[in-house]
Amino acid sequence: MSTHTGVCNFCGTGCGHLLEVGDGAVRGVFASPGHPVSRGRLCVRGWHIHELLATEDRIVAPQLPRACGRLDAVSYEEAIGAAAERLSRYSGDEIAFLASPRASNEDNYLMAKLARTVFRSPNIGLASDQGHADAADVLLEGAGIPAMLGALTEIRKAGLILVDGADIAKLNPIVGSEIHYAARGGAGLVTLSPRSTQIAKLSGTHLWTRPGTLRLALAAVAKVLVEHGWQDESFLRDRTEGFADFARYLSGLDLETLTSAAGLAPAEIEDLALRLSRAPSAMAFFSSGISGLDRASVALLFDLFLAAGKIGREGSGVNPITGICNIVGSYDVGASNLFLPGPRRAEGPAAGRTPRQLLAVSPSPLKALVVADRDEEIVRHADKIKGLECVVYVGAYDNPFVDFAHIVLPAASSAEADGTYTNAERRIQLNRRKVDPPAGVLPAWRIYADIAARLGASWAYTSSESVMGEIASAVPSYAGVTYAKLEKGHGLQWPCDARHADGTVRLDAGDAGRKLRFVAAGSDFPVPAASADFPFLLMAGKATYFWHRNNIMKKTQIPKREYNALLLLYPRGFVEIAPADAKTLGVRDRAPVNVVAAGGSMRVAVRISGDVKPGTVYVPYFIEDMVPGFLNAAGTSIDEDQDSTIPVRIEKV
Amino acid sequence: MYILPRNQVPALTAALAEDYDLYGPVLRPGGGDPMFERAADPAAIRMDAAISYNPPKSAVFPQAERILSYRYDRESREAVLVRDDLVRPKALVGIRACDLTGLLCLDRFYLGQEYVDEVYRDHRKKMFIVANTCVRPFPQCFCVCTDSGPAPREGFDVALTGVGDDYLFETGSEKGEALARKLGLKEAGPDAAALKAKTVDESIARFDAEATENKAWISRVMNRITMGFIGNDVWEYIGDQCFECGACSFVCPTCSCFNIEDVNTRDGMTDRMRSWDSCSFEGYTRMAGDHNPRKPVEDRRNKRFFCKLSFSQSKKYLRPGCVGCGRCARVCPGDIGLPNVVTYIRREITKAGAK
Repeated sequence: MSTHTGVCNFCGTGCGHLLEVGDGAVRGVFASPGHPVSRGRLCVRGWHIHELLATEDRIVAPQLPRACGRLDAVSYEEAIGAAAERLSRYSGDEIAFLASPRASNEDNYLMAKLARTVFRSPNIGLASDQGHADAADVLLEGAGIPAMLGALTEIRKAGLILVDGADIAKLNPIVGSEIHYAARGGAGLVTLSPRSTQIAKLSGTHLWTRPGTLRLALAAVAKVLVEHGWQDESFLRDRTEGFADFARYLSGLDLETLTSAAGLAPAEIEDLALRLSRAPSAMAFFSSGISGLDRASVALLFDLFLAAGKIGREGSGVNPITGICNIVGSYDVGASNLFLPGPRRAEGPAAGRTPRQLLAVSPSPLKALVVADRDEEIVRHADKIKGLECVVYVGAYDNPFVDFAHIVLPAASSAEADGTYTNAERRIQLNRRKVDPPAGVLPAWRIYADIAARLGASWAYTSSESVMGEIASAVPSYAGVTYAKLEKGHGLQWPCDARHADGTVRLDAGDAGRKLRFVAAGSDFPVPAASADFPFLLMAGKATYFWHRNNIMKKTQIPKREYNALLLLYPRGFVEIAPADAKTLGVRDRAPVNVVAAGGSMRVAVRISGDVKPGTVYVPYFIEDMVPGFLNAAGTSIDEDQDSTIPVRIEKV
Repeated sequence: MYILPRNQVPALTAALAEDYDLYGPVLRPGGGDPMFERAADPAAIRMDAAISYNPPKSAVFPQAERILSYRYDRESREAVLVRDDLVRPKALVGIRACDLTGLLCLDRFYLGQEYVDEVYRDHRKKMFIVANTCVRPFPQCFCVCTDSGPAPREGFDVALTGVGDDYLFETGSEKGEALARKLGLKEAGPDAAALKAKTVDESIARFDAEATENKAWISRVMNRITMGFIGNDVWEYIGDQCFECGACSFVCPTCSCFNIEDVNTRDGMTDRMRSWDSCSFEGYTRMAGDHNPRKPVEDRRNKRFFCKLSFSQSKKYLRPGCVGCGRCARVCPGDIGLPNVVTYIRREITKAGAK
């Protein structure tokens, strides 16, 4: 047995761990005491990553269809040859690439390069987490950094922490833990949320908003702050531009309308504005996933913190938190249709469409799809994916995509190949190979390079390190990154370039090289309203064990048991209903009900809970049937992974 | 008692390495964090390392362990069982008093009741234990509150106590005596016992100033926990801060709970895996028919501290289930390690008394 330093590959926190390896396999995991973000802690997922990394439930041989449509094991040479030959038949919108936010920067960079330079296709998507693209877009425009402006390592230096929406204690538990420690150390902690989440329970102040009105609450706080003259004048003058426009925009909003629509008291709004203004430093956290924020909310949050002078200083910043380990890195290296390596906005013909967008069109032009280790998309468009002419799946683990694949190419897992992953605070961390992959299995970057070679490209990569060499020249914020430097400590936070050789902990307003700019939020603020037909507002969100369709969690033991415990109680999911509403409806705990929206309905069990207010209900997103049968039909905004709500009625069965 | 000069520690580890796999505190490269793990190189064991980040219990109760494998033939309905016999003799070198006490608690759980756990017994037999007295406490320590240190009292073959350039080498078994003879150690003088007692007293005297992270006056709360005289609001306050990660159980030297799952492998065998489990998980107490006596998180936290600090549970361990190592406080995302929980319960007692 020996222990090896590594990085947890579940969520975007990027905690450090020590993997125990013996007899060529992963045997255990322990928290890494010296890691600057996790400081010797892990969450329930991280404490069981060895179960995933040790699973034998893997794809171990390349497969091609034989007689009767059955897949048979073949050599890599044959499978890669077939993939290259068949994929080369398609062009334009006939082909698309579904990258994985779980894959390393090196793997994603080469997948994107394969798409853009070999197949000449800008159609690359990351499936979920549109929310992160919105956040990245706002922060890029406003501050020049399309990711977290502050730092996780500075949470304990924040004077005030505002959690906006998501339950960070459940989604990114170690970030939640840092926030909890900061609060115990004296920082103010305010949660704006339409539910009583764990982070709300840990907060000194929980502003219990009506569902779908976070942006209204933020606009109200900004308006109060500016109207009282509580903005940071010298900071605004020296470091920012566009404040006058923002102030004019706010003056056009009606405070009373905003406040009452958000379901808050004027005193609560004023108190938050005052505390934000007076705090020596302040941070905002929000999730960039399904329970995350839309573009307008991120813009308002950014503008509010900019006006208060809480951006570009120690212990301050507006901080999107990513739900999957390498969402930030995936955008950095251009594995999306929205951003080219840089990341810089893709414009004109370079801005392709995502597989989801192509599949959503009727009739869909898509005929061929290359998928990396990802299964989110399949839920929404399984029927259309089934009808594609060529699906190539590259991945370490079996998942529902494999059932529709024409060519399957096994890839090494994160413990079996060198690779870098970029966490939510822009920390690029090197995860070294610790065990050998199953006999003959290749790392994904090698598979992409081999496909490219079959089609005439001459890529001279000898290792993932050599791929990083090219990323450093293609992505300006990674210019100073080398494996040697990454290995010296616990990674580097980008921008890491000639001016910031040791990386950049957080945005420094004085060093930004530009003024920070207020971002227009627009004034189209639809307020979800219940009606006589649909009297309840339904919120959807994620939770700890049920996570991205659970394909990964199902390969563990303890987290799978926890998931199954819930699944056995609520096999078709549940809807949280306030005790008073349950009484009015005459339903008991675990009674089946129909949740009916204008566009669709689903049958789930009732879970009576004081965590929702009367008139609102909550549905966790973990049951497969919910997505095609209900969410797809009932709300397009949910489909875009945004903070949104669906008016429903609950029918007793 | 004998004298082992400090520069003779390599001779001790080398002698043990002839017959045993060595486990002990090893410094990780870079950060230098001490981990208690298998040391392929006997010289890597550092007797002067701080208390290890992980508990030594993995040596006898690994995080994940195959306890048997089988192949089941559906047609003939026959199962072929394969019992691993991979357990090699182990020497735990440099184990601290708290962790040794924890090991004895595990013994009482796995070996001291109606059923003897054979897998655990195989790990535990043929074992050599060299304990190490803490001549000064580490910041997280509170073994003086839990009566489990700073010097080991039982369960060792050899106990070392650092004094100047030497270790006092105290034997606790015939195996320990044999090692002293093998190393040719010289007998300590008649005042050795007094010297050891003085060293331990000095260590205890340092706790107030140096072991500042945690204090846990557990005797003050045991009665309350045993009788259930603790308000539900206190447990809810604690439960709200629980992130349900399981870390407190995983790092605890006395936590013995495990899960069993049969896992299929590619070669057609099925491995029966035993792995660490934790009472902080909802699925841990779920029973057939979906009954769960401890569904809310605060009830599960309540269970943990009942297990650690109630009289009824102490009868099983012959002592409280907490050994004062301070690890749970260091790894807890919610800052509800045992010392803080004891504080919250005491706070309630004080409040009740004031009424």
